Amino acid sequence: MTEGSVALEGVTKRYGTETVVAGVSLAIAPGEFFTLLGPSGSGKTTTLSMLAGFVMADEGRVMLGGQDMTHVPPRGRGLGMVFQNYAIFPHLNVAENVAFPLTVKRAPKAEIAARVAEALEMVKLTGFETRYARQLSGGQQQRVALARAIVAHPRIVLMDEPLGALDKNLRYHMQVEIKEISRRLGMTVIYVTHDQEEALTMSDRIAIMERGRIAQMGPPREVYENPDSSFVAAFLGEANLLPARRDGQAVAGPGGARFQAGAGALASAEGLLFIRPEKVTISAAAAGEGANTLPGQVRHTSFLGNVVRYAVEVPEGAVVLCDAANGAGAVLHAPGDPVRLNWRAEDCRLLAA
Amino acid sequence: MTDLIRLNRRLLLGTALAAPALISRPARAAGEVIVRTPGGTYDDVMRRHVYEPFTRETGIVVRPVAATASKLIAMFRANNVELDLIDTGDGQLLTLERMGALAPIAYDKWKWSKAEDIIPEVRNERRVANFVYCTVLAYNKDHFAGGAPNSWAEFWDAGKFPGPRMLADMASGSPNLEFALLADGVPKDRIYPIDVDRALKSLDRIRPQIRRFWDTGAMSAQMLSDKEVVAGSIWNGRLQVLIDRGAPLAYTWNEHMIQVQALGVFKDAQNAQGAQLLIDYMLQPEVQAKYSKDLIYGPTNNRAFPLLTEEERARAPGSPTSRQTGFFQNSVWWEDNRDRVNRTWSRWVQR
Amino acid sequence: MPLKIRAAFLLLLPSLALLLALFLVPIGWFLWSSIAELGSWAEIMEEAEAVLLSGAVGGALLNTGWVGLVVTVLTLVIGYPVSYALSRARGAAFTAILLCIVLPYFTSTIVRTYAWMVLLGRNGLINQILLGLGLVSEPVNLLYNRTGVIIGMTYVLLPYMVLTLYAAMKAVDPRLMQAAEGMGASPATVFRRVFMPLTLHGVVAGVLITFILAIGFFITPALMGGPGDIMVAMLIEREVELTQNWPAAAMMTVVLLAVTLSLYAVYSRFAEPGEAVR
Repeated sequence: MTEGSVALEGVTKRYGTETVVAGVSLAIAPGEFFTLLGPSGSGKTTTLSMLAGFVMADEGRVMLGGQDMTHVPPRGRGLGMVFQNYAIFPHLNVAENVAFPLTVKRAPKAEIAARVAEALEMVKLTGFETRYARQLSGGQQQRVALARAIVAHPRIVLMDEPLGALDKNLRYHMQVEIKEISRRLGMTVIYVTHDQEEALTMSDRIAIMERGRIAQMGPPREVYENPDSSFVAAFLGEANLLPARRDGQAVAGPGGARFQAGAGALASAEGLLFIRPEKVTISAAAAGEGANTLPGQVRHTSFLGNVVRYAVEVPEGAVVLCDAANGAGAVLHAPGDPVRLNWRAEDCRLLAA
Repeated sequence: MTDLIRLNRRLLLGTALAAPALISRPARAAGEVIVRTPGGTYDDVMRRHVYEPFTRETGIVVRPVAATASKLIAMFRANNVELDLIDTGDGQLLTLERMGALAPIAYDKWKWSKAEDIIPEVRNERRVANFVYCTVLAYNKDHFAGGAPNSWAEFWDAGKFPGPRMLADMASGSPNLEFALLADGVPKDRIYPIDVDRALKSLDRIRPQIRRFWDTGAMSAQMLSDKEVVAGSIWNGRLQVLIDRGAPLAYTWNEHMIQVQALGVFKDAQNAQGAQLLIDYMLQPEVQAKYSKDLIYGPTNNRAFPLLTEEERARAPGSPTSRQTGFFQNSVWWEDNRDRVNRTWSRWVQR
Repeated sequence: MPLKIRAAFLLLLPSLALLLALFLVPIGWFLWSSIAELGSWAEIMEEAEAVLLSGAVGGALLNTGWVGLVVTVLTLVIGYPVSYALSRARGAAFTAILLCIVLPYFTSTIVRTYAWMVLLGRNGLINQILLGLGLVSEPVNLLYNRTGVIIGMTYVLLPYMVLTLYAAMKAVDPRLMQAAEGMGASPATVFRRVFMPLTLHGVVAGVLITFILAIGFFITPALMGGPGDIMVAMLIEREVELTQNWPAAAMMTVVLLAVTLSLYAVYSRFAEPGEAVR
C-alpha cells in the first residue's frame, strides 16, 4: 500500500545564491508520524512547502502516494494541512471553515454536513458550528484547523508548527489528541516543529535539519541517545560535549583521563566526547575509582524538584552537567564539594567537533 | 486637494475669514493702500504703469491682493475691512454700494484727473470706471473663409454659418441674454429691461450648436484656440492676446457689449484717503492710456483716447468710434435681476 | 491593545480642536447667519421651498447623484485590479504603480483637468488618433458633456478608491489564500470565496468615500462638463459668488451636508474591519 507514502528524492531549493534546501531525500511509510525538527532557518518549513506545492523544487522529485507530484499545484495534491497561526477564515464560521475543503470540491451537501459533524466531533467542537474565529480561544481555533485538515479524509496531513502559539499545558493536551486522531484515522503525518520535546513525544521518526540538510534521521530514542554529530546532540535536549581525542581503542579527555566509549562511536580522531547529563552519576569524592570517571568540584546546584542538576567543574576548566534523580535517600552535594563523576561506556560517544 | 475641500474652503473664505482676523488685526504700514485686483498679468501691468509711479510720486505703497466677491462682502459684514480700494466689475461694486459699504468718490479733491473728462455713463457717486472691456462676436477665419457671421442674428443662423459655437454661462457673471435678444430682432436700445423668457426662447434655437457655455475667460480663449468652437462670444482682451499670437481668429465690432470695470473705496477703509488719491492718479489721461494700451482695454477718460495711436484706438473698447456699434451692459438691471436669472438659467441649462 | 477612551480622546483633542475651529464653527456661523438673515421662520420656510423645490436644485441633485454613482462604479471596476496589483507588488514594481497613481496629485486639479482637455478635445490627441486610424469619420465628443465629466472625475477620484482598497487588501493575510489553495481551491475560487469577501468592507468604504467626494465635486464638472452638467456644488458656488444669495447657498449646503453625513454614517459602520467581516 503506497497510498499514504511520501518521498523526497534529492530535493533542492535555492533563493538567489542561497541554497535553502540542499538535496534532501527521505521516505515516509503510510501511517507514519514523521517530524521535521530544526532551528529556524534550517529549511524545514521550505521542505514542507515543497511537499505542499506552495514552493516548487529546483531539483529532485516529490513523490506522494507513489506518484510524482513535483510540478503539481497544491490543489492537485489532495493533502490535509494545518497551518501555523491556523489560517482560519475570519469571514466564515466554524462549520463553513471546516467544510471548505469539501465545498471547493463541490461535494454533495449531505456529505459535507455529515463529514463536518464527524470532524467536529473528533476534535470535540460539536456545538461550536456557528461561531467565528474571533469568538474562539487559541485552543479551539487549533481544533478548527485540525478538523478542517482531516475533514476530507486525506491520506497525508502536513502540520506546520501547529501548536506554536499555545501555552504549555494546552500544548501537551493537543499533542496527545493529534497523535490519537492520526492513529485512529491511519493518516501519514508530516509535522514541522522547532520544539524538540514535542518532536520526541509525538514522532515515530524524526529528521533533524541543519542548514538545508538532514543531519540525522531516526526514531526519537535513537537520535536522542546516539547522535551522529555535536549539532544533533546539542539540539536535542541537554548534552555534555567535552574536548577529547581518540587514543587507540579509548578516548583521551580532560586532564588526561581515559574513557571507554560505545561501540562504533569512535569515528572521529579529534572531537568532542558526548554524554547526556542524566547518564552521569555523581558521588562523593571518596568513592572508589573505576572506568570512565572524572574528579571534579561542584560549581552550582539547581534543585528542580524530581531532578537535581549539578554543574561540576572538571580538570582543564570544562564543566559537566549532571542530572541526579531526587530519589529515596538522595544526598545533595553543595557547591564547592569535591565529587566524582561516572558513566557507562555505551552512554558516551566521540563526535566530530 | 479635492474639489470638496476646495469648495469648503471657498465657503469658508467668505465666512471664516473673519475669525482669525478678529483675533489679530494685522498691523498695517501707515503709507500703504491695499487694493483688490483681478490678479495675474493685470497686476504686472498696473504695477508698471500705476502703482510704482504712484509710490514714487506720493510715497504711498500699493499692495494688490486677490479677493472674491463673497470675501469682500464677508469682510464688510464682519466689520473687518482689510483693504481700501476695490478694483472689480461694476456689478459687484454695485452690490457693495447697495449694502452701504462704499464711500463717495472724492471727485472734488482730485488734482491729477478732472471729473468732467470721465465718460458720464461710468462716473457714479460711489463707483468710477477705470477701464471698459467688451464682449465681441469672434470667429475662426479659416473655418469661415467664405464669409463670417457679422451679427448675432447671423451667429444664430446655423444653416448659413455651420459649426460648433459658444456663449457665456451664468457663471461668467451673466449669460449672453442681450445677444439672444439682438438675434431675435430686438433693437440695441430696447434690450433693457431684458425679457428673460424671450431671451431663453431665442437661446433654445441656437442651443444645439452650443458646444459649451463658458464660465471663465480662460475657458473661452482655450475653446476658440483649440478649435473646440469656430465662433462665440468672448472678452476682447482675451481674444486680442490670441490674435496677437497668430491664431486665425477675427471679430466684429458690430453689436458688441461694453462692460465696465470700476473702482470703489470701502467706507471703513483704514487708508481711505490713500485710496482716493490712487483713484485720482489712476484715471489721469496719460496713466490710463498706458495701462489700457497694454491690457487692450478701453480708457474711461475721454482725454486718454487722443494719446493712443490710430491702431490702438481702433481696437480699444469704448472709444468714441467703436462705441457707436456697441452698447453698454446695464449693470443695474443685472444687479436687480441676477438672482432670478440665475435660477431660471440653472433650470433652463439643465433641460 | 485597545486604548482607554480617555487616552484616545486626549490624543484626538488637537485634531478635534482644529476641526472645530476651522470647520464646524465657520460653517455653523455661515449657515446660521445666512439663514437668520431672512428673518422669521415663515420667511425661512418660504425661501427654503423656493430654493429647494425650484427645478434647478432638484435637477442638479439628480445630476450629482447619477454622476457620482457612475463615477464610483467606474473607479471600483478600474481600481479593484489596480489595488490588487499594488497589494501584490514588491519593490520597484510597487513604487512604479504607486507613483503612477499618486504622482499626478503633485499638480493641482486644474492643471490635471486642463491636461485632460488637451487629450479629449475635438482636435485633441485621442480624436486625432481615432481619426488617423479611420475608426471614426467625425471627431467624437468626449469633452464638454457627461462623458467628459465622468472621465475627468473618475481619474481624479481613482486614487481614493485605490488606496482605500489597497489598505483592505493589504490587511488580508496572504496565508489565508495560501491555505485555501492548499485545501484544493483553484485561483478563481480563492478569489471568490476568500479574497473578495475579506476585502468587501474595503469595497464598501471605497465606494462611500468616492461617492461622498464625487457629490461635492466642483472644478472638474465645471471645466469638463457640458451645459447641462450642473452639480449641486456648482449651484452653491454661484449663489455665493455670483448672486450673493447666501441664504440659498446655505440651504443647498445643508442638503449636501445632510446627504454626505448620512453616507458617512453608513461608512463608519463599515470602516471597522472587524465589524464588517460580520
